[in-house]
Amino acid sequence: MDQIESLLRRPRAYENIDGVGELNFGFMCLAFALIQWLEVNTPEYSIWNRTYMFVVWLGLMFSVMYIGTKAIKKHITYPRTGFVKYGTHGKIMPPIILMIIATCVAAVVSAGVAFAIRSHWSVTSTLPAVVGSFVAMGYALGITRTVPWKAVGWKWAVPASILLGSMAITALPPDRAAILAPNSLAVTGLRPESTGAILLCMILCGAIFFISGSVTFCTYLRHTKAPTEEANEPANADVQ
Amino acid sequence: MNRQTQTFNELDRVIHEPGRLMIVALLFAVDRCDFLYLQHETEMNKGTLSSHLSRLEEAGYVEVVKTYRGKVPQTLLRLTEDGREAFQKYRKKLRKAL
Repeated sequence: MDQIESLLRRPRAYENIDGVGELNFGFMCLAFALIQWLEVNTPEYSIWNRTYMFVVWLGLMFSVMYIGTKAIKKHITYPRTGFVKYGTHGKIMPPIILMIIATCVAAVVSAGVAFAIRSHWSVTSTLPAVVGSFVAMGYALGITRTVPWKAVGWKWAVPASILLGSMAITALPPDRAAILAPNSLAVTGLRPESTGAILLCMILCGAIFFISGSVTFCTYLRHTKAPTEEANEPANADVQ
Repeated sequence: MNRQTQTFNELDRVIHEPGRLMIVALLFAVDRCDFLYLQHETEMNKGTLSSHLSRLEEAGYVEVVKTYRGKVPQTLLRLTEDGREAFQKYRKKLRKAL
């Protein structure tokens, strides 16, 4: 019975067999970090602090992610190990439950951040650790439910590095983090040390996911054969 | 004949074969996939996989569509509604029997 359940989870694991999911998440974190860095390192009235620029940036970022994913899947993954279209059948959890959980987590985190800012807490001291723990926990939970861990045991290094890295950022002296965001107070209203810590946290998560995705992608390319024309056809005429 | 033996005897023989069970379980979790994906996941050779698929198609559990991806032929597979129902019934009965 357990074997049947594990078979039912395999198509979900296949979604990230080429590391594209992690590459996308890493790219997204790094792109957000870059736009935020540009915002807090340029004068208040520069083009990087315009709302439309942020919208354009978002559009560009999601286009690159969408087109990049499509291109990798179409030209590399599907010809090598096959095409899969996911329906609602293979979901680990029904989408509505996932949405409710995501909404609750987002509400709790937003309320916590808002409370911290209103109370004039030093967000620097807590936020990276909280964000890092959430990301590491989510990653560990999500992957243990889909990926056979014996096959990719090194992936435990991803949540561990995020956790350790975010703790290290938390332990940084505030003036070190503030170097990254000199204009933060004027532009965002947040203290430079808080913005600096958030930036560092995004760079950390982005870099780790990007490295993990790249390793997965290279391993995938090394262990799968380049496609042949007849690879996707049954052996005889019985299956038509 | 005790109840457990009776439940085992009632299991769908088409699905109960290990190779076909693997195929049906994989197809159950997706909307559709191609022949290459099933071959990659099940690690069966083309001949064995084709014969299992033929048996499942005969039983009306799997729908096979021949198409092209660009100029390359592609065989798309999906579990029919009957197939989904049969697999769910099979899981229930197996759970009961165990």
